[in-house]
Amino acid sequence: MADDKDVLRDVWFGRIPTCFTLYQDEITEREAEPFYLLLPRVSYLTLVTDKVKKHFLKVMKAEDVEEMWFDFEGTPLKWHYPIGLLFDLHASNTALPWSITVHFKNFPERDLLHCPSNSVIEAHFMSSIKEADALKHKSQVINDMQKKDHKQLWMGLQNDKFDQFWAMNRKLMEYPTEEGGFRYIPFRIYLTMSDRPFIQKLFRPISSDGYTHTLGDLLKEVYPMAISSDDESKRYQVVIHGIEPLLETPLQWLSEHLSHPDNFLHISVIPAPSD
Amino acid sequence: MAGRPTPGCLSDLEMESEEPTEVEMSSCFLDEETFCQCCQLLLQHSHSLCDGWSWEQVKGSEGYLRKTALGTGRTRCILDQQGNSSDQHQERTFSLSFHNDEDDEDDGAVCCIQEESSSSSVVQYEYHILYSCSYQTPVLYFRASTLEGRSLCLEEVWDSVHPNYRQRLQHRPWDTITQQEHPLLGQSFFVLHPCRTEEFMMPVLKAALEEHRQVNYIVTWLSVVGPVVGLDVPLSYCTQVPEPPHTPSSSPQPPSSSPQPPSSSPQPPSSSPQPPSSSPQPPSSSPQPPSSSPQPPSSSPQPPALGTKPG
Repeated sequence: MADDKDVLRDVWFGRIPTCFTLYQDEITEREAEPFYLLLPRVSYLTLVTDKVKKHFLKVMKAEDVEEMWFDFEGTPLKWHYPIGLLFDLHASNTALPWSITVHFKNFPERDLLHCPSNSVIEAHFMSSIKEADALKHKSQVINDMQKKDHKQLWMGLQNDKFDQFWAMNRKLMEYPTEEGGFRYIPFRIYLTMSDRPFIQKLFRPISSDGYTHTLGDLLKEVYPMAISSDDESKRYQVVIHGIEPLLETPLQWLSEHLSHPDNFLHISVIPAPSD
Repeated sequence: MAGRPTPGCLSDLEMESEEPTEVEMSSCFLDEETFCQCCQLLLQHSHSLCDGWSWEQVKGSEGYLRKTALGTGRTRCILDQQGNSSDQHQERTFSLSFHNDEDDEDDGAVCCIQEESSSSSVVQYEYHILYSCSYQTPVLYFRASTLEGRSLCLEEVWDSVHPNYRQRLQHRPWDTITQQEHPLLGQSFFVLHPCRTEEFMMPVLKAALEEHRQVNYIVTWLSVVGPVVGLDVPLSYCTQVPEPPHTPSSSPQPPSSSPQPPSSSPQPPSSSPQPPSSSPQPPSSSPQPPSSSPQPPSSSPQPPALGTKPG
């Protein structure tokens, strides 16, 4: 359907205007100007911020530079989460541009994963895709692909090539017609008001008696707090790619169209803004 | 995980009951309930040995096994200006560079600086065993720090791996041990990748099934993966920890000429999708308590792990 394909493009080409400011305690030889960048929602911070690093390195000495990391309002940003997820989770209802602070020292070892090279990002990305396929197809589709096909998925993401990526990814979105959908839906629900980083469980898109599960069904089963009852005002927003899909949306459709390139549905549950 | 799929290796694990056949490959996978039961049985034995395993539960979510231990590892130490270091045993090491085809634009420092030497030192390890619903296997998470509290970086962890396992890591470093976020705590841990678990579990479980031996999935699995990262599993685990009880299948009972431990029955190993609620026990020996509670190992010896058929 023409409409559905447009959704794929809209998701892929989503951007977040961001302002990077150097942390005030970093040692510089002269004042560092902020750096502005449009970040792809579906990519990863460490993959798209080489320019940011180069910009700030111009005013710093090499010995004062260790691994770059980012925070937003004091919270270290996990580079292994897609950028759009980080924004929806932490900065949804704040003013644009998104203001991120850049650090080159005091890497928070406990909280952040190291990212010494793009190979680490690739490994993480492919690992997510494989896990998603384990859920959707018992790993059969991903295992039938060749190494060069895996590479094409990664290169498509790295180089922002929608067609190259989807030429391969469409195979991961297929399912036997008689099944009606994937075996299980790859999803993670992220909560801001919990110690636990996310909820991930086994959940079928189609029940054994043929009923099509919706986003609302998923939430009711896995995180019922997200759904307020009719008589009380809405406490939480359920956000995917910066929008609040209707709770009646079929989960299978969401998985095929609103997943990230890693094939997971990353769902943020955030406090609704008080008016 | 780019290998060929084993035919039928991920067959259905529905709650709609299937009779597990003798060499059903689905038996190399583990459902969450059985995972918990296996862990509880392991814990009981651990308590008797006082070797430090505990069960942790994050509020409102799944539980996991946890243990801390001191071990040895190879850590980097920073050389001072004169090239001296406080450590006694030093070797120059070449920093591990795993070749890749990428054009890395990185000019930022990696987590381990080049001008260092590596030495054997005491390392504090913390091990967690979690259940992965995606792969339906257990997963080993761990972190390591020096006694001064500095976290080891990935290269140091690789250096610390037992030489017997090094070759595998060198060929596919990103496939075996990587740094990941702990799914329940949100903190940085190292992980042994679970996607190849069935490769080594399947032969073991199959052999146990054919020889009518008990296998506690977690104990077996841990005895394979643990030593890679410095976690030893004493032999008594393999002989003393039973598998969780099951509802009986239609497979025939072996003649039991020796008294069987309470939870013993020639069932396929733990992962068959049986609801673990109480059901009649196989009529092998003394009356059984409900099957959902873990049984203490009986005083009669278990068949030895590499053992012979009973009777």
